[in-house]
This record gives sequence, structure tokens and C-alpha cells, in this order.
Amino acid sequence: MSSRVLPDFELFIPTSLAECLDILARQGDKATVMAGGTDILVMMKASFRPDIVVSLVEVPGLDAFEWDAAKGLRLGAAVTVSQLLASAEVRRHYPALWQAAENFATPQIRNRATVIGNLLRASPAGDCSCAILALGGTVVFAGPAGRREVDIDKLWLAYNVTARKPDELAVELRLPPPGAGTRSGFHRLTRVNEDLAKLNAAVRLEMDGTICKSARMAMGCVGPTMLRLPKCEAAVTGKTLDETVLKSLQDIVQSEISPIDDKRSTAEYRRSVAGVVLKRIIRHALEA
Amino acid sequence: MKKRDITLTVNGEVMEVTVAANQTLLEVLRETIELTDTKYGCGTGECGACTVLVDGSKPILSCLTLAATMNGKSITTAAGLAKDGELHPVQQAFVEEAGIQCGFCTPGMVLKTVSILAENPHPSEDEIRHKLEGNICRCTGYAKIVKSVQRAADLMSAGKAAE
Amino acid sequence: MTAFTTIGKSVPKIDVKEKATGHALYAADLKMPGMLFGKIVRCLQHAHAKVVRLDLSVAAKMPGVIKVLGPDDVKGHPYNTGVLDLMVPEHVGQMLGDIEDQVVFTRHVKHQGDAICGIIARSEEQAERAAEKVIVDYEPLPVYLTAEQSMQPDAVQFTPLKPGNRAFQLPGEMFPNNAYGWGDVDDAMAKADFFVEDTFYVPKQKQCQMEPHAYVAKVDDGGRLHCWTSTQMPKCVHIKLARMFDLPMSKVTVTQTVVGGGFGARLGMIGEPIVAAMAMAVPGRPVKLQYSREEDWIASESRHPGKYWMKIGFAKTGEPVAVDALFRSYKGGYYTQGSGVAFTTGSWLGGMYKWGACRYLGETYYTNHAPCGAYRGYGNPQTNFVMEQLIERACGKMGADPVEWRKKWHKTVGDDGWCPGVTYPSCALDECLDRGAAAIGWSEKRKKFAGQTGIKRRGVGVSVMTHTSGAFPMLLEHTTATVRINEDASAEVMLACSDMGQGAHTALQQIAAETLGFPMADIHLKTGDSESSGFDIGAHASRTVYVGGAAVKSACENARKELFDRAAQYLDCPADQLTMRDKVIHAQATNRSISVAEISARGVFNYPDPATGERSGIPGQIQAYSSHLATHNSPPFAACFAEVEVDMETGEVKLIELVNAHDVGRAIHPASVEGNLEGGAQQGMGFALTEEIYYDDKGLCQNNSFTDYKMLGPSDMPKLTSILVEDPDPIGPYGAKSAGEAGIVAPIGAVANAIYHATGVQILDAPITPEKILKALKANGLSM
Repeated sequence: MSSRVLPDFELFIPTSLAECLDILARQGDKATVMAGGTDILVMMKASFRPDIVVSLVEVPGLDAFEWDAAKGLRLGAAVTVSQLLASAEVRRHYPALWQAAENFATPQIRNRATVIGNLLRASPAGDCSCAILALGGTVVFAGPAGRREVDIDKLWLAYNVTARKPDELAVELRLPPPGAGTRSGFHRLTRVNEDLAKLNAAVRLEMDGTICKSARMAMGCVGPTMLRLPKCEAAVTGKTLDETVLKSLQDIVQSEISPIDDKRSTAEYRRSVAGVVLKRIIRHALEA
Repeated sequence: MKKRDITLTVNGEVMEVTVAANQTLLEVLRETIELTDTKYGCGTGECGACTVLVDGSKPILSCLTLAATMNGKSITTAAGLAKDGELHPVQQAFVEEAGIQCGFCTPGMVLKTVSILAENPHPSEDEIRHKLEGNICRCTGYAKIVKSVQRAADLMSAGKAAE
Repeated sequence: MTAFTTIGKSVPKIDVKEKATGHALYAADLKMPGMLFGKIVRCLQHAHAKVVRLDLSVAAKMPGVIKVLGPDDVKGHPYNTGVLDLMVPEHVGQMLGDIEDQVVFTRHVKHQGDAICGIIARSEEQAERAAEKVIVDYEPLPVYLTAEQSMQPDAVQFTPLKPGNRAFQLPGEMFPNNAYGWGDVDDAMAKADFFVEDTFYVPKQKQCQMEPHAYVAKVDDGGRLHCWTSTQMPKCVHIKLARMFDLPMSKVTVTQTVVGGGFGARLGMIGEPIVAAMAMAVPGRPVKLQYSREEDWIASESRHPGKYWMKIGFAKTGEPVAVDALFRSYKGGYYTQGSGVAFTTGSWLGGMYKWGACRYLGETYYTNHAPCGAYRGYGNPQTNFVMEQLIERACGKMGADPVEWRKKWHKTVGDDGWCPGVTYPSCALDECLDRGAAAIGWSEKRKKFAGQTGIKRRGVGVSVMTHTSGAFPMLLEHTTATVRINEDASAEVMLACSDMGQGAHTALQQIAAETLGFPMADIHLKTGDSESSGFDIGAHASRTVYVGGAAVKSACENARKELFDRAAQYLDCPADQLTMRDKVIHAQATNRSISVAEISARGVFNYPDPATGERSGIPGQIQAYSSHLATHNSPPFAACFAEVEVDMETGEVKLIELVNAHDVGRAIHPASVEGNLEGGAQQGMGFALTEEIYYDDKGLCQNNSFTDYKMLGPSDMPKLTSILVEDPDPIGPYGAKSAGEAGIVAPIGAVANAIYHATGVQILDAPITPEKILKALKANGLSM
């Protein structure tokens, strides 16, 4: 690796979506798509050696950023994490995503890193990925046969592997509109504030008074991909979220996660705090 | 490797440069355009010493940016802030508050400060500390850097008041 | 109360404008005609191996490659990147067992990152591509990651010069029973009423200065070697390169570029021997060598880690009757500063409290890691983590207030310092403790935070330290300075002292201005050039103001004396009856005066009378010199108070406040003193909470990047308060004592003790991570 010298590669800078898709159709696995570049270039300074890099910087039409109370949020592939953070609508309607964006990386990286790029990186530690898995959403791919929608629950197939086909480009992310009883929140644990997460989690609740009608819970850094927590979700569904219910999550979550020892933390620690983090996110989301 | 001709405006000066696909903006600034104020500190986007401003006051990392993708962009480096030997108020504030020790992080810190104050001319200390993340300093413990940002805010709003 | 014109004022620092504009030139910014680019090829896949085959033939044919260099292609004797050999008499070096075991390119890889060959090419990219074509076969050797492993009788020997792989222990000829200390520890410990004892682990910490290492070197057509480097020790590098390559010093020039932080990383040499060897391979062409950041952790020196055992015995009265300690450090692959830290770790211990008896054993063993060298504090951070936590435990047992106990038992004026026989000339530690305690609200908070039951619990902790001002008497303390009064009465001060950002140059210029009686603006400091400056031992041991400043003061006093002596002749009045104001010297008695400008001009532009041949006035340019050798040491003291909040469910530690009260003697430039304390605090708290270089079981570094070597960032830092206690030292220039290193030390013990206060558990392995805290809480039945 060298953080000073990049490897050789062929660079394409298409000026239309059609041109971009054409390159991907012809090059397939040899091509790597680059939006903001903050992940790809770090990987290339390590051991990643793509033959071809396709930059989206001059492809028009990828910068959609629309909020609609009935339709929800629509983000194009070029939308950066900074744009999420600057949006009052995101802060109000998707608190989990806004909270994930707030401490994501650094201002410089937020100005370039794209939301969709974070999803496609398929890291089990991605903060925005965690929030979006809890909030629910759909990724729209453009390809030679037209557009294809993939639910967020079906996006990540394995560690660093997504459902994207080599001739497809992710062009849009859609988040469903929140309801009157929707609450969400995100929290993560790190070694220092500016850091990759050692554990992150997000929760979306549909509340009817004090009863939780349904829940989506996501947790990262505890398996090869970002995980849903169906047992924890079931444990709160139809219930009042009192201290007993919240405390029970500590034991229930254990069978849904498979943390390991790595550079950022230990399996033992992650197991110790997983339920604590869920409990705190839920409490905080209900207070808002 | 194929080379491309691109146009960059750097510190107000329009430049035509020829770049290879695998050249970062950092490399082109330092080696081709020969402006050495933007620094290589880590090359992997952690330390912020390579920070430049684009689109006015948006900070990005030049070590994680391919030069070829910046065609037509306008970039500001720390050396572009001072005018005719007069320090920019942010630079002046860092001098006054002793926010500079070894100076290696300083160009990036100064540009980050410009961006913070462009977004919010009167940031709280918490906001300053949150937004300084991504620019590492090992000399100051950040204490006098925060004071420098606060002083810069005062100098710039006084300057605006005077206009 | 003396009124100074510039001492004690935080004047604008002299070198910061060019840093603010980005115009300051660091080594990587240098460009020269015909410049080539060097690349070091390192063994990255093994921590211990022999190179059995090295084939550079393919690399040599790559585009742009000028030269490929294997171990036999480079000149130069084996060397030691540390420069301690220049600071002790030869016979002492022999007693210590100091050796030179490093070479430019090696066949015996002793750590991941060891250099095996080099490439010189027209561009950096071409050098990088050629490096990928180097063919090398290794024979892996067993990997030793601890002293306990490498000391085994069947272990592979790192060097025949050190049997048993023990790089250093305190030599019996200087230290009876290989121990530093005094008294009969076993007897005193047996008579103690109680004791505290434990074994701690202190981590391998990295300086992480922001400027990566970079160099340029060139050998000109006359065979003269010129090396541009950001070393902290330009004159030491000057001598070392000359010796290494068998050149007279007059054929070697070292230019110190702007130093982007040091903290000990640059205390000696790093890449200078390699870039010089490269330059010698391409005479007439400059070679630029730039380290990548990821090389920093695996190819330059770190703090000394290891196991540190300590036992302290107390009388019922609280008197610390004995201390017994052993620090066994993992040296890494090369000797470097082998004898330094292993000794000083104990001397900081010995200098702190009124131990009845003291015994410290320090030893280092080779291991397959990047070597250890110098890092701010030089053993004091390690001692502080151990000693101050044991004192805290003892105070708990005694029911003693930790501040009151320390006030009673710390060493003070007249007591032996860290070197027995050299006593403390000043000590304001009591005032540091009192003012620091008041600032953090010690008494109220110790009471308030007792018996907490909530999830978030607060704690306050205290720690004290003493360090050093220069390294007398352990090491040579010698700085030379020359002052020249220019024709127009401005002044040039020439010396080799380094500013790494700590503000030393500004302070030295203030000392010059104050002593000469000239305004700051009339003085220029010429530094960093081995051609124009005489000897200086370098920036380390917190010596630049205390010893460097004394040299400057002495040289300026000599210059001022010459001025006054000349004025006395011109004004026909004894020199001791003259005064100077605004660079005009007055004779009160006769109401006559003469300006410095006139004295200078008449000295330089001096013509003989055409008729008589006699000179008018006093001919000659005024130039004064000092070759200052320190004769004492005035260590600073400090007290640090920390407040933390611990989350009992997650083990997370939030830093609330840190108060550092520093016994500085006199702050020449208060803002610089504060800046050093504040920066030191960030590094000390990092030692305590987040920083460690770690390896897998093959000795391969797992976190050589900022991604995984985590330091406290701006939003992690607590509220920092610096209290400068000024009790002028009788020896230091204008009463000053050191401040360069001190700030890192006491925050370590203070934070550890605050965590103990909050949680009831002591963590013996630094860094104190949430994982360790939570585990300890569970083990002690204290978790929630």
C-alpha cells in the first residue's frame, strides 16, 4: 500500500447516465463506480486495484433532494452526507438519519461522501446504513433493462457485497414518509468522538399513545452485515416501553448478534453494551 | 497512463493543467502548480492537513480527490487567503491567540475556520469543536485553536460592522 | 519586582506568520533542480526474518529508475539513530553498553518495517512502481513480542553484542546491584507498617507529530554532503553523519527545515543515514525521501512499553519508607536510546517523594517491534501512571487526603533531585497543589462524589510530577551562541537550538532582547544551520530555554559588556555608571551619551587618519560568544487535577475538566508555556485512555494509521486550565525552568485516579479503555 501514490487505472468521466450505463455494461466487474471518492480512494491507497474507475461527477440528474409529506424523502446518488445534515426536513422527519449524519466522519468527508455510497460500501459499521435500515427504504438501480427497486432489507448480501449487478448504477434512495406516531433514533459507541463505530444501532418505532405498534431495529458492528433485530422488534411490539421491557432487550439481543474481537472493540464488550444502547435509543426517541 | 487537460481556478488564478488519472488534487497542487501550503499529512483522509476549500468555503480533502474530477472548479488554499502580504482575519487571529506551534496543521485549520465562520459567524464552543474534527493537531491540545476561531469570529464580525 | 521589557510577555511568536500563510518550508516542500526521489523498500510481511535472496535486477530496469541500492551498495558504518553517545564520555558509554547496531539496509529484519533496500528514480511514482518489482525471499525467524520471550536461552540473538537479548540494564559499575537508589530497601520494607504493590502495563505510544518524516540530501562535486532535515538535533546529526561516512565535519552541512513537531520522534536521526547514502549513490543530484504516514509507526521510534512493577512501603505516619520497582521494557529491534529511558524511568521516581529507601531496576530486552526511543517525558509518563495510582491506593488505606499527603511528602528545595547530589534549587509544588485544588473544587468534589449510585458517576483525581530542565548531570549540557552587532546596531544571534513548535525560538529572542536591551524587532535569530552555528546538544530534556537560553543570555551579556566598555571610553566614564535606554548609552555624571548605532558604525567603518595613520575611536565589529555548559539543574514541578464522568453501564469515560498547575519559575512567553501544557495534556490523556500501537501474534502492526491509532480530538478534550506558578528559580535564565515536556506527565495519573474515584476500580493496563473498565466493574460486582 501507499498513501502517497495511487495505482494505475483507467478513468472514465461520463457526461450522461446513458454513457455511464454503457461503460458499466461493457466493463462489468472491471469497473468501480466512484461518487465522492472518500471510500474508493482510501481503498486504492491500501490494496484495492480496480482496472477502471467511473466517476459520477459529471453525470447530470443525480442530485435530487425532495421531501414530500405523502411520498417521503427522495435522494439522488450525488447527495452528500452534508446535505442531509443541512436539511431541516431530515432533522425533523428522520431523526435517526440526521443523528447518524451528525457524527459521521468529519466535515470534509461529509462534503464529499454520498449517502448512497455509504449504502453500497456494505460495511457492517456504516452509520447512515444503520439508520436507513431501521427507517426502511428502497434503493433504485438503473440498468440496461431500465429501473429496478431493491428494498433495504435485501440490499446487503454478505460482508461488502450488495445486490447491485455489475451493469447497474444506484441512482436514487427513497425513504418512506413517517407517520404521526413515528419515532426514530440512532446512537453509536466509539473510541474517540471522530471514529468508526465500535457498535451502532438505530430504531424506528410506530407509537400509538404509549403502545408500540411496530418497530424496526438495526445494529451494526456485530455481524458480517448490518443486521435487523427481529426478536428485539417482536419483544417491543404491542407493548408499553417501560423499563422492564427495555431491560429485557439486553438478553434477547444476544442471540441475534455475532460480534467478534477486532481493532475497535471486543465481542465481550459488544455483548455487554448492545442492549444498553438499544434501551437508550428508545428512551431518547420517545422523549423527543 | 492517459493524461487529461483540466482547468482549475486556484486562489483566483485560472490555470490549465495536464493531469494523469491517478493524480490526486493534493499532488497536482504541490507538484504541478507548485503551491506547497497544502500538506500531505496522512494521505488517507484522517488528518486534514490537505484541506482545501471549493465552491467558496466548502472544505474537502485534496488527498482523497482525483484532480481529473475537479475540472472547472474553483479552489482556495491557505496561501490564497492573505492579500498583498496582509493576513486574512482568520490567519491574524491564529497569530494573536498563539494558535500556531509547529504550523503543520495550520493551513488546514485556517481553511476549516473560514468554512466554520462562513456557515455560522457566531458558533458556540461545542459547534467549533465538533466542526474542527477532521483537522488533527498534536501540538496545541486544540485549546488555543478554539480561541483562535473565536477571535476570528470577533475580527470578522467587527470587520463586517465596519463596512 | 523587576519590570521586564519583554520577558513574561506573550509577544507575537517570531515564526508564525509564515506558518499562517502556509509559506513555511518543511522538508517535503523543498524543490531543487535535478531532484530525484528516493523510496525505501521495507519488509512488511515479517517481524523477524533473514533476507536470503534480494534480486534488484527487475526493479533496476523499470522506467525512470536511476539506482537501486542493496545492503552492499551503500557506504557508511553501523550507527545508532539515538545520539546519546555524543552526550556521555566514551568510558561511560562503554559501561552503559551503548552500541551501534543499525545499518542503512539490513539482511536481518528485526521488526516489520525494517529497511532492506532503496530505489532512486526520477519521480516518486516511478520509484514506487520499481519498489513493487523488488524480488526478495525471506527465511522467517521466531517472533519475540515480550521480554519474557526474547530472554529465553534458545532465542535467536538480535546482535552478538547483547547476549540473552538484554539490550540494557543499569551497569553494576555505576549502580551497585544494577539498581538506582539509596538505602536498604529490603530492611525498610520489612519494617513498614503496610505496603501497596502491583504490576502495571504501560503502552507503546507514538508521538504522531503532524509532519511526516521527509529529507533531501545532496553530495556536491566537491564531495560535500548537504542534508536537509527536520531533526531536533541538527548539530548532533552533523557529527553523526560525518562519522558515519568518514567525512570531516567541514565537508558536511545539515540544514534544519521547519520542524513540524518532534516530541522526541526526531531526537536523533531517523532517515538521515538512508537519504545520505542515497545521495552518495548519485553524486551531484539532490535526492528527496518522503516517508508515508503508515511508515511512521513501523519505521520510527516510540515510547518504551512494558511491565512495570512497584511496591511502596509506608509507616503509620504516612511516611513513604521504601519504594522498590522494576521496569522491564520491550526495546524493539534496535538499541537506539537503550540506556536512556530505562534509567530515567527510575530517576523520575526517585526524585518525586521523600522515600526513606529506594531501589529501581530498569532493563530493556530486544523484541520484534519498531524500536523504542524518545517520547516526551522520557519514562516519566510510565512512572506517573504507576506511582500515582499506588499512592492513591495507599491514601485510601490510610484515610489520607491525596493532596495533603503529597504536600507532606514530596521532595523540595535542598532535597536530592532525580540525580542524587544535585539538589532542587526551587520548588513551588505546594502552591501548584493549592491553586490547582481550588481551581477544580477538590475538597467539595471529593466529598460530593463519594457514595454515588447513579449510572453516570463523577470522580476527581490528582497527580504530581517533577521533570528536568536540561539533562545535567546525566548528559552533556552544552550550547554555544554567537551574538553579532550589525553595522546598523541591529543584532544577529546565531545558534543551533531547535524550535519544534514549542516556541523556543521566540523565547530565546526575548531573552536576547531583554539582555541586550534591544527591541525584539532589532534582533534576528539565525538557527538550524550547521555551518554558522557552533555546538548544541539539541532540543530534548526540556533544555532549550533553561540551557539554550542561558547561552544566549551569556553571549548577550558579553556583547553588552563590550558595548558598555566602548561607551565608557567614548564617554570617559566608568562602565558601571552608564545606563542604556532606547539603544542610547548615557553617562549621567557628565550628561554625555552615545548611541549603539554610533559605536557599531565607528567600529566597522573605521579609517586611519591619512596623515598620522592612527585609527579614531575603537575599531572592530562587536561579536560576542558563549560556550555555555550547564552546572546545575532546576527541575520544574507540577500538580494536575482531573475530573471525569464514567458511564457505569458502558465504561465510557467523559473528560470534564483538567487543571495543570506548573511550577515554571518564570514564564518567558506565557502563551507558549500554556500551549505546551495544553498539548502535553492531550498526549498524556491519550496515553491514559486511547493510545497504543498493537500487533498481531506475528508481530505485524495492526494500527499504523490514524484510523486505528486514536488520539483525543477537539471534541474529546475537557475544559483545560493552565496555572503558571512563578517562583523564580535562582539559576535558570530570568528565573525560568522548563515546560516543554512536563505537560504530558501528571494528567496521566490524574485521569487514572479520577476514574478510580468515580468507579472504585483501578485499571493497571494503560490505555484505560471502556472495555477494561466494564470488565473490571463486572469482576468487582460494581457493574450496573
